[in-house]
Amino acid sequence: MSLIEDLDQLEAKAKELIECAATSDALEQARVALLGRKGEITSVMHMMGKVAPEERPVLGKRANELRRMAETLIADRGGALKRAAMRDLMATEAVDVTLPGARPKIGHQHLINQIIEEMEDVFCGIGYTVEDGPHVETTYYNFTALNAPMDHPSRSARDTFYVVDNAPGTCAHAEAHAHGESDVLLRTQTSGVQVHIMESQKPPIYMIAPGTVYRPDTPDACHLPQFNQVEGLVIDEGITFGDLKGTLDYFVKCMFGPERKTRYRPHFFPFTEPSCEVDVSCGVCHGEGCSFCKHSGWIEILGCGMVDPNVLVNCGIDPERYSGFAFGIGVERVAALRYDLPDLRTLMTGDMRFLNQF
Amino acid sequence: MRVPYSWLGEMIELPSDPAELVAEFIRTGTEVESVDTVGESFDHVVTAQVVSKEPHPDSDHMWVTKVDVGQFNLGEDGNPEPLQIVCGAQNFNEGDHIVTAMIGAELPGGIKIKKSKLRGVLSCGMNCSARELGLSGDHSGIMILPPDAPVGVPFAQYQGTSETVLDCEITPNRPDCLSMVGMAREVGAIYDRDFHVDYPKIKAEVGRPTADELSVAFDDEGMCDRYVARIVRNVKVCPSPDWMVQRLTALGIRPHNNIVDITNYVMMLTGQPLHAFDLSTFAERDGHRSVVVRAAHEGETFMTLDGTERVLSEGMALITDGERPVALAGVMGGMDSEIEDDTVDVMVESACFNAGRTSHTSRDLSLISDASIRFERQVDETGCVDVANITCALIEELAGGEVAPGYVDLYPAPKAQPELTLRLSRVHAICGADIEADFVERALTRLGCTVSRAGDDTFHVVTPSFRPDLPREIDLIEEILRLWGMDRVEATIPAAKNHIGGLTREQHLTRKIGQILRACGLNETTTFAFAAADDLKKIGMPEEGRGCPVVLMDPLIADQTEMRRSLIPGLLRSVAYNEAHGTANVQLYEIGRLFHGRENASKPKERMSLAGVLSGAMDDITWLQKYRPLRFFDGKGVVEELLAQLRIEKVRFRPAEGEGYAFLQPGRGAEVLSGGTVLGWVGEIHPDAREAMDIDLPVVAFELNFDALLSGARNQEAYHEFSAFPSVEHDLAIVVDEAVTCEDLERRITSAGGKLLAGVRLFDVYRDPVRVGEGKKSMAFALTYRSDDHTLTSEEVEKAHSKLVTKVCKATGGEVRS
Repeated sequence: MSLIEDLDQLEAKAKELIECAATSDALEQARVALLGRKGEITSVMHMMGKVAPEERPVLGKRANELRRMAETLIADRGGALKRAAMRDLMATEAVDVTLPGARPKIGHQHLINQIIEEMEDVFCGIGYTVEDGPHVETTYYNFTALNAPMDHPSRSARDTFYVVDNAPGTCAHAEAHAHGESDVLLRTQTSGVQVHIMESQKPPIYMIAPGTVYRPDTPDACHLPQFNQVEGLVIDEGITFGDLKGTLDYFVKCMFGPERKTRYRPHFFPFTEPSCEVDVSCGVCHGEGCSFCKHSGWIEILGCGMVDPNVLVNCGIDPERYSGFAFGIGVERVAALRYDLPDLRTLMTGDMRFLNQF
Repeated sequence: MRVPYSWLGEMIELPSDPAELVAEFIRTGTEVESVDTVGESFDHVVTAQVVSKEPHPDSDHMWVTKVDVGQFNLGEDGNPEPLQIVCGAQNFNEGDHIVTAMIGAELPGGIKIKKSKLRGVLSCGMNCSARELGLSGDHSGIMILPPDAPVGVPFAQYQGTSETVLDCEITPNRPDCLSMVGMAREVGAIYDRDFHVDYPKIKAEVGRPTADELSVAFDDEGMCDRYVARIVRNVKVCPSPDWMVQRLTALGIRPHNNIVDITNYVMMLTGQPLHAFDLSTFAERDGHRSVVVRAAHEGETFMTLDGTERVLSEGMALITDGERPVALAGVMGGMDSEIEDDTVDVMVESACFNAGRTSHTSRDLSLISDASIRFERQVDETGCVDVANITCALIEELAGGEVAPGYVDLYPAPKAQPELTLRLSRVHAICGADIEADFVERALTRLGCTVSRAGDDTFHVVTPSFRPDLPREIDLIEEILRLWGMDRVEATIPAAKNHIGGLTREQHLTRKIGQILRACGLNETTTFAFAAADDLKKIGMPEEGRGCPVVLMDPLIADQTEMRRSLIPGLLRSVAYNEAHGTANVQLYEIGRLFHGRENASKPKERMSLAGVLSGAMDDITWLQKYRPLRFFDGKGVVEELLAQLRIEKVRFRPAEGEGYAFLQPGRGAEVLSGGTVLGWVGEIHPDAREAMDIDLPVVAFELNFDALLSGARNQEAYHEFSAFPSVEHDLAIVVDEAVTCEDLERRITSAGGKLLAGVRLFDVYRDPVRVGEGKKSMAFALTYRSDDHTLTSEEVEKAHSKLVTKVCKATGGEVRS
């Protein structure tokens, strides 16, 4: 039998060995058997030295072809086996994609603080700063400096939480008080921050002051003894009532939607003159009148006005040179309007079911 | 202020549809709370006729009546059938025309008419007295209508009582609008239109002059600005005529008798509160009587006409007859000097009491009257005499009184109205609108001002005495703007030139802290800033270091008597609330304010605090994962992550021990430090404290000083190059005494590892009395060795590792666990 015939047989054998390998292990065995150090094809290659020189070119060429063929077949077969194994693995790994995912547990921000941050962003966007002030105030900062007369009904203990004064008469701007009242109180409005800021900063002032305020209202669905306001104050040269309107129109559209309208109703507050209340068109009926807006088409959302010259003078600002406007918004009210909250008390319980909603 | 539309319409031309006026009121600053139709409450009230009247079989004063209500009650045959009604009145006979409230009627006092049995006899309605219908104070019997009154028509239709009333909310700066005249003037200013009022005039002056019989004196200053008194003699006290009763009812005032009704009526007409005294109750000396206004004595008592004994304090103003008090000035009259049915001589008081004093008195006594509301908003003292005369004229007309000649008028310091300068340029500058000079002049004139022009830009304005809210130029500008129309002003945005806004670093950090905690799975909440006096004690939290409490003078409820000094009690309350409502898994944080009172200062120190509570598990079990119960290390992990994210340096935890941490479970609490600064604590709430707060499950909590977090937070440091060379990992399990802390071991390892030790990670803590030993633990660390400048050889690593092991074992008394 000639060597050539041996090679033909070896080729047939190699093909069979490779193609019959059902696993990558079997394929590896075949590779070792054929191409390993002692493999049959390797042995043929080693025999070349013993072949007659005239046969060498033909045989050498044939042997090399055989080796390349085996290598190619092994690579192809390897690829096929790998793909098959992957297919099998994937088949076992298929899942019901409608099963719930492994959701990371992320906390939620309290609704009121979400709204406050939203308002902060609206006003920071038009160049305002965000300011803070004490919650335990003196009557001077909560009332007097804001032009509230000494006998103003809002000063009564029915409308204001007074606290025991540990050092009567020692606070700045101590005042005389009716029975049950003192110089020190829980602020009933964020407006006192206006005074602190005007005392400590020079105009131009463009600021808001969000924060908690306190009033002796027994908690019920619509009242809390502690709630939040966002105070706004602008003091600059040439500020007009038109500026107040433009600013609050912008704010209302940011908070409630660009389609909402505003209405300015003259009103009275001691610290602003002229003063007004602002209504926003009802989002449920779009101004047609419905039970949500008590059939008026409008919903009251804030009080505002041009800063009273007395307040400017109290804070050392010349009212002939500077003018300004101020506003105060009830945050819980915005929340109640936007989310139709049935009971404000839920805001204070820490109920996870409530907090997880927002 | 309730404004009857038809009455207002007598003074000034009104739009036929009240809704039009309401819209104008709202546009110009008078809030209209509602538009009521008085008389609607007379539903199911009809005119009727008594068909029969039999004595009640089981009562000696009641009657069983049959009353014909026409078509309102039909029998089975479809024909009108009389109603059987049991009636207690004695003033009627068969055939009388009466007013009957049928089943379903609701009378003004809130009485609902239902089918009932009175002493066993069926009664299908009620025959009404005038008082039951809210028409007058007459309760002497049922109302008898004239014999020609129709039978079986709705009473409202018969009476013609249906009246539209605007319920207006008058802002406290507008005392003038607490009167019909004021409202008419306001309407005149809105529509630029005249108004007219016909005041009654005294027809005759009879008998001894007022000043001859009566003198007025002010014993104390500052009580009363003006006091006008006038006597009317020989009055006949009786119910008021129907027209007045209807008007007062529409105004929401209950009718009494003609004299009292007249004072109320004139008050509602003019805004000047009045009081009528029974003159005979005033002390008489030599045919003279006196009125003395003085300050009350501390603790003095006085019976007001509502029958309540009032304890007065100094600073309240009293009207006396020189001996006894007869009225609490500006607030309420006295029981003893009230007008009774047998009153003959009347003294009419038309005075102006001090606004602030009236307000204080009213507040201190919690006594608000129609008079006090007006006085505390400032009554027009220039009108006292005119109003006294209008009142006396009406008493003359309606009660047959004889008006004494003249009056007494004590008015020590007559008020003059100042002249204001109003600049048109200022109007434009404040309003941001070019309001015409003509409009300015017209509007102010309509409001009662005297306006004269002084040049192109300037007006001289004298405001009317009934507008105490207009002392300055800016007040006039407000009037002009509201009448001109706020809606007409063009909306603009200020330029904010030379101003920079935005959040501060602290504000950004505050937001970031919230974001980190939410990323850790905690929900943000808010709790009340109020606290109960025993909040801290209840959970064993010391008061030390928290200042004294800020105490409310008049708390609303017993568990909110002071301001909180820790966020923890409130958060524990939220945990208990959730547990009680079926939510076991609770993860909450709050950034809130604490109030630390100071012994010798009026105001407390306020500081922000951050606290969190975790209880139950992170989440409910799912098909994928089970969550273990939240315990100490879950709370500590949140704190660690927060501090790491804030890049707070030198963070350490050490056991929280001692009385200061009595609210924590011993051995499960840690103080959190940054270098030498205590930032706060984290730990499991003591079971006793949990029990006190009604919490079943363990709670791990933390409370951190917010200001310390803000000041300790650092910005991102510069970039660190990664090592390009491979690392080698070696595990080390070392058996040490229980007393050796993890912190100890880590510190030893780190210092012994030298430059090549790149990482230390604890991956197992193992205790076993046999394999590890009693009182010992095996701590297994994964150590990572790496160099920044070359690939480590195994010899290098072995050398470093064995050196580390030797050092650590020696320092801690530990042994390597094989």
